[in-house]
Amino acid sequence: MFRNVYWKTLYDQRRGLGAWSIAIFVLVGLESALWPSIRNMPDLKDLYAKMPEELGKLFDLDAMSTGPGFLNAELFTLMLPVLFLVYGIGHGARSLAGEEEDGTLDLLLVMPITGARIVLQKALALLTCVVTLGVTLFVATTTMSLIFDVGISAGQAASGSLAMVLLGSEYGALALAAGAVLGRRSLATGIASAAAAGAYVLYAAGLMIESVEPWRPLSPFDQALTGGPLGAGLPAAYLWLVGGAVLLTLIAMPALDGRDIAAHN
Amino acid sequence: MDTAIRTRELSKQFRSHAALRRLNLEVPRGSVFGYLGPNGAGKTTTIRILAGLISPTTGGAEVLGFDVVDRCEEVQRRIGYLPGEFAAYPDLSGAQYLRYMAYLRGGVDWSEVERLAKRFDLDLAKRFKTLSHGNKQKIGIIQAFMHRPDLLILDEPTSGLDPLMQREFLALLRETRDDGRTVFLSSHILSDVEAVADTVAILRSGELVVTKSVDELRERALRRLELTFAGPAPIEVLRQADGVQEITVDGDTAHVEVAGSTASLLQAAAPHQIVNVVSHEVDLEAIFLDYYTARS
Repeated sequence: MFRNVYWKTLYDQRRGLGAWSIAIFVLVGLESALWPSIRNMPDLKDLYAKMPEELGKLFDLDAMSTGPGFLNAELFTLMLPVLFLVYGIGHGARSLAGEEEDGTLDLLLVMPITGARIVLQKALALLTCVVTLGVTLFVATTTMSLIFDVGISAGQAASGSLAMVLLGSEYGALALAAGAVLGRRSLATGIASAAAAGAYVLYAAGLMIESVEPWRPLSPFDQALTGGPLGAGLPAAYLWLVGGAVLLTLIAMPALDGRDIAAHN
Repeated sequence: MDTAIRTRELSKQFRSHAALRRLNLEVPRGSVFGYLGPNGAGKTTTIRILAGLISPTTGGAEVLGFDVVDRCEEVQRRIGYLPGEFAAYPDLSGAQYLRYMAYLRGGVDWSEVERLAKRFDLDLAKRFKTLSHGNKQKIGIIQAFMHRPDLLILDEPTSGLDPLMQREFLALLRETRDDGRTVFLSSHILSDVEAVADTVAILRSGELVVTKSVDELRERALRRLELTFAGPAPIEVLRQADGVQEITVDGDTAHVEVAGSTASLLQAAAPHQIVNVVSHEVDLEAIFLDYYTARS
């Protein structure tokens, strides 16, 4: 497990990943278990129709009378994105800025491997962890759908899970890059969280305010959530998320070799 | 190439603070080089530049013939480095941490790690966070020595070690030198440096104050002698002798401070019926402190 930075980082994450996976499983299970009783509620459509129009758009309430629509509204448009963001940003900020603050980065950098390679391996480890959570989400969604008859196909669950992975990876990569450039974990967390909050505001405002609407596709939330994310298929907008994460990693790669590393006190 | 480290007008500026000013340093191969100075003098800054963790503002440095900025990897392949505040991963055992470092470095003979651990009486199975400060430091020391590097750059290495381990560590430094390898040792513990260093450099406020061999420093050191005479001490005669700096008289005994050789003083005193001569150890600490605090 200690052959390189990649495996060592995965080793560090083993317990955290386990806990997050359980949490995702439980969350999806609980929500899915509600579906049979929701579906059987009379006047469900009337109830949604009474909700404010904006809320209907934000959570796609029109589609809520179907199983995938229900889970999209309840989990995949806010709760799960937030969970994946929290995990991705936390992991990304800890990756390099955390090691620098703890004083352990010094000795990694004094080893005869380049800073760029350390950054790349850290980024790949982050991606692996987020993908692991995505796979967990996929398994949880398909299993629970079968148990509670939610009616979500494997393809739908896959696109929903992929959207979460892409969102978590992009903001995780942002936190990692900010940490690599600035060397401070709190700052990296702050920047990535603020960027995510800003993107969400743009997404939400774009849904509700007509003049903001044209700008909405710029928001990673729009790229990830539009048309689903459960059952969205493989929209081209996902490429923006992939490109964003790759670009941020490329920006981070030369950062460690190009600046002074703070002495640990 | 007989120089392990060479710096040319090496300077480092942190915002408005000049941490290092035009440092010119030459560390001969196969020696133990003591790098002394009070806290904040720029020792750690120098070391972090040599290790490739920070870049010089102006000037440059070569380590084992390689430029520390342009040929950083080559330098890092050949050095062992111990940071001033050594930190490892709290949840890893000593063995896990050292395996990780050994893999990253490549080419480490694991039996060397075990040999060092045994020598320093360290249990490698314990988690880092459960170790005492001194035992944590031992992991750092092993990490720096395990690949038998040509040059060791050690920032305050004896911090936290008990006297027994300190002695063992100093012995390790001597063996390393006898092996033809070089040790660059920063410290503010004068006795450590005095015990192992061949040459010392003293740094104050980012500037090099002096570089000298320890023997040379000893020679120039002030010696204190107590000369007791059968009758009143012949102060005027003693004062004429070479190197005499100061004389105080206490009855028949003269307390004399001499710089360098005491031969002339003893010659001058001999005809005056000396009853007893007491010579005090050369006190290098006093010299160091002198350099630390001197105005110019």
